[in-house]
Amino acid sequence: MNNLHLKNGHIVDPANNINEVKDLWIQGSRFVDKNEIEKSSCLEVIDLEGKMVLPGFIDLRCHPRNVTGGSTENICSISKTAAQGGYTSILGMPNISPFIDNPGDARYATECAERDAVIKFYLAGALTEKSEGNKLSPIGSLKESGIKAVTDCPYSTQNNEIFVKGVEYAAMFNLPVIDFPRELSLSKHGTAHDSKIALSMGLGGYPRMAEEIFVQRSITVSKNLEVPIHLSSISSRGSVELIHDAKSKGVFITADTTPHHIFFDDRMITDYDANFKTHPPLREESDQKALLSGLREGTIDAICTAHEPHQDYLKQAEYDIAPAGVTSLDTCFSAIFTRFSEELNDLAFECAKWLSFNPSKILKIEGGNLASGMCADFVVINPKEKKIYTEKDTCSLASNNPFYGKKLISVIEKTFVDGKVVFDKN
Amino acid sequence: MNWNRTSLLGLEDLTVEEITIILELASEFKRNLQNKVLPSKNLKGKRIVNLFMEPSTRTRVAFEIAAKSLSADVISIASQSSSLTKGETLKDTANNIQALGADAIVIRHPSAGSPLFLSKTIPVPIINAGDGSHEHPSQALLDIFTLQQKLGRLDNKNITILGDILFSRVARSNLWGLKKLGAKVTLVGPSTLVPREFEKLGAVVSHDVDKSLKNADAIMLLRIQHERQSTSHFPSLEEYTKIFGLNMERAKLLKPNAIILHPGPINRGVEIDSSIADSKNSVILQQVSNGIAVRMAILYLCANSSNLQ
Repeated sequence: MNNLHLKNGHIVDPANNINEVKDLWIQGSRFVDKNEIEKSSCLEVIDLEGKMVLPGFIDLRCHPRNVTGGSTENICSISKTAAQGGYTSILGMPNISPFIDNPGDARYATECAERDAVIKFYLAGALTEKSEGNKLSPIGSLKESGIKAVTDCPYSTQNNEIFVKGVEYAAMFNLPVIDFPRELSLSKHGTAHDSKIALSMGLGGYPRMAEEIFVQRSITVSKNLEVPIHLSSISSRGSVELIHDAKSKGVFITADTTPHHIFFDDRMITDYDANFKTHPPLREESDQKALLSGLREGTIDAICTAHEPHQDYLKQAEYDIAPAGVTSLDTCFSAIFTRFSEELNDLAFECAKWLSFNPSKILKIEGGNLASGMCADFVVINPKEKKIYTEKDTCSLASNNPFYGKKLISVIEKTFVDGKVVFDKN
Repeated sequence: MNWNRTSLLGLEDLTVEEITIILELASEFKRNLQNKVLPSKNLKGKRIVNLFMEPSTRTRVAFEIAAKSLSADVISIASQSSSLTKGETLKDTANNIQALGADAIVIRHPSAGSPLFLSKTIPVPIINAGDGSHEHPSQALLDIFTLQQKLGRLDNKNITILGDILFSRVARSNLWGLKKLGAKVTLVGPSTLVPREFEKLGAVVSHDVDKSLKNADAIMLLRIQHERQSTSHFPSLEEYTKIFGLNMERAKLLKPNAIILHPGPINRGVEIDSSIADSKNSVILQQVSNGIAVRMAILYLCANSSNLQ
């Protein structure tokens, strides 16, 4: 049996309020107490002096594009990219090929994931058929086929009746509902944040209102049905306010934002660089500030990667024709660590909450916890090292990552899933 | 001559000096055209490619005539006949055109920013002939050329632009150019087509046509583009015409010497009363003929830029 003794590492474990240098023991796939380790078995000692140990990250939104094959991304390549970024569990959105809105394809994708993924790859099923918003998917059967959540991300169910029924129906199966809040009639021609910049560039605006109206819808639905709803990829300052107010009144609403929305603003697109065309669009400095304080105050619970791979030739095109979305599974943690490095003392502790502990609660999955008895999903980080990431480093088949070429603080050294190394920097 | 550019992508980042260089050269070419003499400055042996991925008559023809007047070889590609309809990317098209030996590319494209994209992709001078709702520099330069002919210096002149500003590349390019030359630019139209944010770009925004006409030294009308505006921007063409159209009654509010411009094509009876379009104050056809000289200047400066430096 594979037994490990992690020595001298700085353990960051918000689930158990631990943030100190401490040893950890692993027997097989689980954390155990020191005295539980069988004396006869061999014990590998890893000295982690100067390193941090965090619970493995859990992503709430990524887009694998294909179950297998394809030239943009698939479950195998996305899982390797995730392992590079310290992720031990990721949730793939249903808009892959084949589309996850029926139990047959869900079963097929789940089986492929078990075979191909180097980490725990979970699937979200579509809330409505083809995510077109007209008819509910067979949510109960999808759950039996292994899905962990339902969502129409990167779209949002436009029809209010269908959305409400979907939330109500999914709750019966204890399935988390994730809404990507986007009112389409206000944003269908929008390729950039509706601002002075989009106006002078002649780009169609995707206003904050398009997001906020649907954020309010989810809050109202959650409040009336008393059912949790998770809001994905929040970008607007108004959304942060709405969520803050709802939470203070006890509504079961949770939310995440993305690394690019807290790192960049819409000034990045002034050269029509489609590598900064994101989904939702990059907004203004004031939105960024609201998102940052929303994270610090706990209004925003998590950070998702919104990893959306696209082939180069599609991104190297006219801005309005190029698809929206960027990759970020491999750089997400370092980007966040860099963004907050001068602002937060307990940064690693906060990161562990945003990237691991809170997502595990939202998805109702194991992980995000280093206590004895829990699965040994964790990541070893060197918080001092700096690195410039490039497309040469990534396992992703795509390279549309706006963080490439930037010097980021902190490096993922090793990622462990169920006590086994799935990524080693060396 | 202090011209260091190879491409003309828009007026937003041109200097006053660069605008002046283009317009002075346009005056020279205009005299050549009027006297029917071949200009001594020419583009003999140069190959100009007109790449028009959006329908256009007047701009495309004006660029063709301008290139031919400079003795250049000109090839026009319209989107219906190119590989674009077969799904080739703009990058591939550009590389192919470069491989065919173009000395300059004049591009009209429905996507904002595509001329910039081309200029970063291939080392060939790119001239923007209209990109989405972004810029239409040759149109604004010919408008400014015409305005200067009629009004002289433009500093402190009141120029009113009336119509669909939101979707208009002509309005944006004129705003940048006119502001640089010291004019006061008022944008007028319904709030849905003239959002307040235009104030942040240096314009005065108004929804009161009558008031904005009274002070105007020139009024530029923009076409109401039926195909672009869904019913959500204003209730109907009838209502638009009633509240924002330039009719005989409203024209009386104008100063006697105020001039009327329109980049065309005109919707007679919608944004402008037919008789006003043909009145003595209208310079609409002079704009068209000035467009040749201005485009000759642009082509000469860009396609010849390697020799000028």
